[in-house]
Amino acid sequence: MIELQGITKVYRTGSQSLEALRGVSLNIGKGEFVSIMGPSGSGKSTLMNIIGCLDTPTAGEYVLDSSKVAGLTFDQLAAVRNRKIGFVFQNFNLLPYATAWENIELPMLFDGKNGRRRRERVTELLNAVGLLDWRDHRPTELSGGQQQRIALARALANDPPILLADEPTGNLDSKSGEEIMAILTELWREGRTIVMVTHNDHIAAHSERTIRLFDGQILP
Amino acid sequence: MNLTLPRFFWSEYRKRRKRAALITFALFWGTLSILLLMAFGQGMTTQFKVAFSGLGRTLIMVYGGQTSLPFEGLPKGRPISLYPEDVDDLKDRIPEILRIAPESYSFLQVSANGKEINRTVHGTTAEFGLMRTQVPQMGGRFLNAADGAEGRKVAFIGWKVAADLFGNENPVGKAVVINRIPFTVIGVLQKKIQDSMYNGPDAEQVYLPFHAYRQIDNRRRINQIHIQPREASQSKLIEARVRTLLGRKYRFDPDDRYATSFWNTIEDAKEGQAIFKGIEIFLGIIGALTLLIGAVGVTNLMYAVAKERTKEIGVKLAIGARRRVIVGQFFLETVFVFAKGTFWGFITAFNVVHLIRLAPINYESFGIEAYLLRPEFSLRIFVAYTVVLGVLCFLSGIFPALRASRANPIESLRYE
Repeated sequence: MIELQGITKVYRTGSQSLEALRGVSLNIGKGEFVSIMGPSGSGKSTLMNIIGCLDTPTAGEYVLDSSKVAGLTFDQLAAVRNRKIGFVFQNFNLLPYATAWENIELPMLFDGKNGRRRRERVTELLNAVGLLDWRDHRPTELSGGQQQRIALARALANDPPILLADEPTGNLDSKSGEEIMAILTELWREGRTIVMVTHNDHIAAHSERTIRLFDGQILP
Repeated sequence: MNLTLPRFFWSEYRKRRKRAALITFALFWGTLSILLLMAFGQGMTTQFKVAFSGLGRTLIMVYGGQTSLPFEGLPKGRPISLYPEDVDDLKDRIPEILRIAPESYSFLQVSANGKEINRTVHGTTAEFGLMRTQVPQMGGRFLNAADGAEGRKVAFIGWKVAADLFGNENPVGKAVVINRIPFTVIGVLQKKIQDSMYNGPDAEQVYLPFHAYRQIDNRRRINQIHIQPREASQSKLIEARVRTLLGRKYRFDPDDRYATSFWNTIEDAKEGQAIFKGIEIFLGIIGALTLLIGAVGVTNLMYAVAKERTKEIGVKLAIGARRRVIVGQFFLETVFVFAKGTFWGFITAFNVVHLIRLAPINYESFGIEAYLLRPEFSLRIFVAYTVVLGVLCFLSGIFPALRASRANPIESLRYE
């Protein structure tokens, strides 16, 4: 599903350059639940961004779902992010002026789905995360756990096969964190591929496999 | 219809309402300026045409003169006069002439109703009235062919002459006495604006049939000949032909500019219209520059909005928004800000023009107010305004929108 071969990412600022990833090779199969761990600056987020098609590698090859990512245009990458990948962020990244319903609806609007399909899917997702009664609330009116559940529902809006979660429980209390992990585990059991960045061994324990990064390289 | 994206836009817009209010005012003011300035420019051009047509429409006046060149053994300095038969000669030999009329005049005493005034009295024909916009007031008429042919003693008088002699009474059918000969008033000139004239405005003139006039002024020569070409573009050709024909008849060099002289109002009108067109364009540019200030404000606002929304743009890009979605969002907002400001500017300009046009014009003085109090809108103004507005709106919106759409999703997501 996700094949990375010799991925290198170098950030250049003026005369300085920083090698965030150094020849990372990684395969994540369909339906796997993988967690990525490592200290700050080890390249976890960079790796996630490359897997999520938010960033491109300086060198190496990335094949997603049997297609090479290199050479895709900005809008083609956007389409991949829209249909194949769902993002869950540590700080939720919900649109503050939009209601829970509207936040979930947004990826489907970008995909051009019609109103009936959107309504059905949003209702289904709100039911799944247990927040149908909160549909008209804005993010500021929701707790952290509720916001992350809305973010999860948004990530699932276009039914993507891959879910990328960057510290999904990092801003939550332990109870809300467990609820989110329960949902992620359920989604994995349903057959979705999940890649999760975390600092927390306890959270990582929910995954099948843990990849440890250090100084831009995968530890053996 | 999907209202989610417009609802998002409205929620965002409301947050910046106060700041947007200043920009909206700038656009309001810009629209008001450009529309009013163009309306005044167009109004002045129209008034110029109206005022110029007060003298006549597509008119060439021919005068006698004095030769300045020796010709065929004749010395220079010979006076050249025009005679009534020249009118027929020119009409017969120059097919480009549509209308032609002789005119003679003298400053004479005119009396009626026990009042006496001194005014210029003209002798001419019916065609003069058509060329010189002698439009009668209701219940009257200008001289006609029968007046001339039958030697009728009738008079057409200017509205000021009518007022001076008859006050508020209707002069039609009453007599005026000129050189002790009574003439029946057949019509009074309707009020008109007139900025070009000889012997004063038509409002103060008295017109008699040519043959009747000859009874009070027996000079054989005439003062001038009025010619109207079939096509305005033929005016210079007619001038040349008149010079040639009169030169042959009275033996002067056709190139002698002083033997006869011409007042070619068609050429004068072209120059005048070019000047007013220039003023109109200049005013339009000033207005467009005023609107440009508003447009710059919108661009600034949209750049600021793009910066404020960096995080939101990052989120949208991360969840699959294509560039055109981001561009469309910013463009929609730009169009909305423009539409709001310009709508009220448009309404205000329309009402201001309407109100100004209600002000009366003083036909007697026809001063600067006659040019300023008749601003007008036309399709051309709206087309010009729409083009300027469209260009400014596009330029104001496109650059912030493109910058926003080219944001790096990762940097945008990190933005706080």
